[in-house]
Amino acid sequence: MKKNVKKFWKNANISLKAGLIMTAIFVIIGFVIYFLPHTNPFTFNSYPSKLKPTSEHWLGTTSMGQDVIWLLIEAIHNSLLIGLIVATIGTVAGVFIGLLAGFSGGWVDRILTVVTDTFIVIPSLPILILMTSFMKGTSTVLVMALVLAMFAWAWPSRQIRSMALSMRERDFIHTAWFSGEGTVQVVITEILPYAFTWSLSNFMNATLAAIASESSLAVLGLSPGNLISLGNMIQWARERNAIFTKQWFWIGSPILATAVMFIGLFLLITGYNDYLSMKRGR
Amino acid sequence: MKFRKYFGLRFLTYLLTVWIGITFIFFIPRMFPSDPVENMIGQMQSRSGQMDPAQMDALRSQLRVQFGLEGSLIEQYFTFLWKGLLHFDFGPSLMSYPTPVGEIIGMYLPYTLFLSLTTTVIAWVIGNIIGLLAGFRKNKLSSKILEGVAICIYPVPYFIIALVLQIVFAFVLGWFPIQTTINTQGNFAVWFASLLKASILPALSMLLVGTGWWIISMKSLAGTTSEEDFVLFARYRGISEGKIGKNYVFRNSILTQVTALAMSLGGVFGGSIMTEIVFGYPGVGSLVQKAILMSDYNMILGCITISIVAISTATLIVDLIYPFIDPRIRYN
Amino acid sequence: MKKAMRSMLACVVALILVGTMFVGCSKPSATTETQTPEATKEASKETADGGETAAPTGEMTEVGTPRNETLIVECQSPTDTPGQFNSYMQGTTMGFGIHQLMSAMMWEIDTVKGEQFGEVADGMPVSNADFTEHTIKIRQGIKWSDGEALTADDVVFTFNMIMTNTGINQNAYYNQIFQSVEKVDDYTVKIVTKESFPRLAQRFGVTIWGNDLRIVPEHIYSKQADVTQFKDTEPVVAGPYTVKAYDELGKWILYERREDWQASTVGVVTGKQPQAKYVWFRNLGDDTSRQMSLINNEVDILCEVTPEMLEVMTAQNPNIACWYKDFPYATSDDPCSKGIAFSMGKGAPFDNKDFRWGVALAMNFDEISQNIFDGVGRSSPFPILTNTSAAQELYVKPILPWLEAFELDLGDGTTVKPFDSGYAERIAQVLRDKGYDISTDHETLIDMFGAGCWKYDPAAAEKLFIKAGLEKKADGWYFNGQPFTFNMSYLADTEAQAGRGTQAAYDQLTKFGFKINLVSESSATWSTNDVTGQYDIGGYWPTGFITKDIYSQINGWDGDLIVPVGERGSGQGTRWNNAKATDIIHQLAVLSPDDPKSYDLGLEFFKNAIEELPFIGFHSGVKFVPTNSTYWNNYPSADNPYNGPWWWWSCFKYITTEISPVK
Repeated sequence: MKKNVKKFWKNANISLKAGLIMTAIFVIIGFVIYFLPHTNPFTFNSYPSKLKPTSEHWLGTTSMGQDVIWLLIEAIHNSLLIGLIVATIGTVAGVFIGLLAGFSGGWVDRILTVVTDTFIVIPSLPILILMTSFMKGTSTVLVMALVLAMFAWAWPSRQIRSMALSMRERDFIHTAWFSGEGTVQVVITEILPYAFTWSLSNFMNATLAAIASESSLAVLGLSPGNLISLGNMIQWARERNAIFTKQWFWIGSPILATAVMFIGLFLLITGYNDYLSMKRGR
Repeated sequence: MKFRKYFGLRFLTYLLTVWIGITFIFFIPRMFPSDPVENMIGQMQSRSGQMDPAQMDALRSQLRVQFGLEGSLIEQYFTFLWKGLLHFDFGPSLMSYPTPVGEIIGMYLPYTLFLSLTTTVIAWVIGNIIGLLAGFRKNKLSSKILEGVAICIYPVPYFIIALVLQIVFAFVLGWFPIQTTINTQGNFAVWFASLLKASILPALSMLLVGTGWWIISMKSLAGTTSEEDFVLFARYRGISEGKIGKNYVFRNSILTQVTALAMSLGGVFGGSIMTEIVFGYPGVGSLVQKAILMSDYNMILGCITISIVAISTATLIVDLIYPFIDPRIRYN
Repeated sequence: MKKAMRSMLACVVALILVGTMFVGCSKPSATTETQTPEATKEASKETADGGETAAPTGEMTEVGTPRNETLIVECQSPTDTPGQFNSYMQGTTMGFGIHQLMSAMMWEIDTVKGEQFGEVADGMPVSNADFTEHTIKIRQGIKWSDGEALTADDVVFTFNMIMTNTGINQNAYYNQIFQSVEKVDDYTVKIVTKESFPRLAQRFGVTIWGNDLRIVPEHIYSKQADVTQFKDTEPVVAGPYTVKAYDELGKWILYERREDWQASTVGVVTGKQPQAKYVWFRNLGDDTSRQMSLINNEVDILCEVTPEMLEVMTAQNPNIACWYKDFPYATSDDPCSKGIAFSMGKGAPFDNKDFRWGVALAMNFDEISQNIFDGVGRSSPFPILTNTSAAQELYVKPILPWLEAFELDLGDGTTVKPFDSGYAERIAQVLRDKGYDISTDHETLIDMFGAGCWKYDPAAAEKLFIKAGLEKKADGWYFNGQPFTFNMSYLADTEAQAGRGTQAAYDQLTKFGFKINLVSESSATWSTNDVTGQYDIGGYWPTGFITKDIYSQINGWDGDLIVPVGERGSGQGTRWNNAKATDIIHQLAVLSPDDPKSYDLGLEFFKNAIEELPFIGFHSGVKFVPTNSTYWNNYPSADNPYNGPWWWWSCFKYITTEISPVK
């Protein structure tokens, strides 16, 4: 086991290593450090307001006297959670439905296509605005994630379906078919690996899209009022004019966190793909 | 014969999609505890202080009749199906009563199309070229730099990019107006000049983000394709890299991107809410947002229906021409 | 060849991308340095040179008018009905300069004195003994912008037009009130009301913001087949300005001064000329754009900003000022206090006054005040009446002895006096420690920070909650055996004072030990939830105070108007069902506002409301209303309070005669 890890690390390329480290840092921040005991970061007037970074408050404090670093840690936790739930639901459901439609054909395909297409053609942001203004922002992380996931599965499903359509005409599939493999087996052994690369980048993109959608809703004032997320953090800072009062750490840290989180995921996935192709090439 | 059957079925799917989507949009806003009449009264009150109780009652019943909100939901639905779907008449806008929804959308749509259509196409072209180069020639330094820049810009939240552009180019440098002001006095040239000046920053912000996504997705597609057996085989056969790029990798990976472009083009009709809000650009996106906040049912329906029809039509077209560009698919 | 082109294109794009990123990164330093645009630099240099030198000339606005002849005023939301100037058509956005510059009101208000005066009317109405017949004189000399004289015919026509057109919003209401409106002679109108109506001028003239009775020209409107469908795109008006151009998309309207302004309402009433040749009302989008526009001198007057925005703007452009030059900058005399309202129709415990008093005592107002606007603002803890400086003199100070002696029964035999008069001194000290120069004169402090607030006394609050039927267990509060939680809602994205107040109250009550959902609502549901009572505790503002007679302020609190939660009634959404309050409102309805008994009943109502506390106020309406004196000066301010800073009210037309070009 240990040997394997070592071997893997030795063979891994720089992208993969960097991506792994960056993503690991965020996972640790979001799911380990987050559970260290700390005061509720939302509470106003916990500390003097508008402090510059010090050894006690690494990123300073907000205009409401909250500690920015803990606010950020909790925001990363919640946003990551939302992103991962949405991406998991979206990708798994999307790939499953897409493959099902693409390979079963007939009426199953038609019904699934109509449903998928309906969710694709309905513009998501207006509906999200509608839904969230209906829920009056009372929703929790999970509800928020489910609402966002409603629109996250349709696009991958359609893509996977057309991929499947194009693939089932290909020779290697026909070969497999003729050699007596069942459809399910063909899908698992031949198609899934092929769709995997695409799904991975879709997963990463869905994570980011979910976080970005949440941010957009937050900027429109529609994210739950006491949900500490990256989007809400940006919005609170904007409401207190942090851009022009130069409270860079407050407004900058969630933006930077979003960007770095994405870059980490991206490097991880491209690096992993390269790693796989290198292994295959050997 | 086969084609005709395929076409018929596909067209049926298309109609179904549009119908389900629009029905969805019809019922969802009406199920919410928000009421255009209350919003209108609320707005009057917030501007003018308190209203006399007797006056409020009288006003409320008057507005309900005027807005056509009296009948049952089912009655309203069938009236809408008849008028809206078959005649594209969505009735009067409630927030701009009694101006018809169609007239207002007609005023905003050209601005949206002008901005989004251009930026979507440009972003698609640039993004795919860069993505192809980056994916096909993975190990070149230039590919890496381009890709690096793209992935650094793409994840930054949309409105932040717009905001940064606005602060830098409009506020600090003063090259462009902070907010969109379109001068409607005088001739076409005056109008167009003011429109052009106001559109550059919104366009730039949409380009930056859009291009980033196309680069990333194209790169991943091209990367996958260039490892396929037929590419490797072509390499063994000694075909030049340029030709492989053009004839094998490009042709194969562009298919997915064409579908995606068609969808994005359909999406253009929906506008881009965040950019429009930051720059105060007149567009369908912010129109929908305002309609939602004011519970202007007719306007929500009108805008989203256009968007739904546009996207469905785009997908329909793609599906019909797909077999022509990808000969491996047959009509069945 | 193609390949080369591709590479080139790629490189160009890359350059752009990288360039933008760099510019983006260098943004912090760019804004901190003096890199503000040319105009600002010039302006600041000029003021630094001392005194008012000439404003930059030769510049044009984006709508093609000379900048130094154009007064640019912000309007907070774009109009949904561009090109529509008929105030009796549905949805006309009056606040977009229409009622500020063009409308003809029967009576206007002097916002400084709080007294009404005739605009179209010549003096106040004269009524008979039981207030059913009213005689109104019409001012002579006012002409419409097409030269026709404004006479009693126009007034009578306007009333009758409203009463005969069911499509006009006020139709049903006017028919309830008026028996007949007739012309006596060219400049006299006689109005007969169906019942005793002692407040004709208060109700049909301006008190706050504006009024929906606006006189229209008979010679234009009588020719329309349907006045409710008549857009009036080229309006003929009695006010001093007419429309020169407007944006089809509703982002701006450009007004031009009438050639014959002497014959306009303002000309006849004051004899003074509105100084700006053009007034350009424009919408500037979100807060970021608004402050950048003011700093860059692209607008002269902004409606309302937050203190954080003001701080940035005054630091970057020395010509930007607010009501007060120094602390507290904002005026606290907006007649709408912000705080938290209870949906009492929802039943226990919200309809229990002990619960509401418990909430009041569980919150530390000193901290709330810091969190809203950094301590700026006059405290206004009272329900329903807003503590404007006039209200403080007329209603608060007279009952101060009563207020200080007022006690709450805590249910365990002890009592607490909830009023805390030490707030002004305390907050002054806090602000002094922060480096602000705050007066030490007690009276000044009371005017600046208010007579007091509710005490912070968590121990007493706990007893009150227990008295109200709540239970405190190890894991929090319980009610009826269930864990007790509730929602606190606020309107997202606008109304910073109300939103921040609710957030701060949420913070306080969470610290006290309640489990609360903080709900940020969009305007889609906000108003509907208010009127149907679908909230628990919300940052609504059913408050006010403008004239000594408080009837028009409190008549919505009539208990008879209450409908069940979920239905839409015409009374207050809070559904405060109080017999004594209802009785006082009914008595006031038939009393003349000048009757001394009205005032006594008002005081009685006020005390009763305090005992019951249907609403907990934080501050009176605190408005940061910045102006830019690069091109125009002599805006109303604390040093020169000829009017209030209410650009969105119809009295703005009188302010235009005072705002002068910088020479």
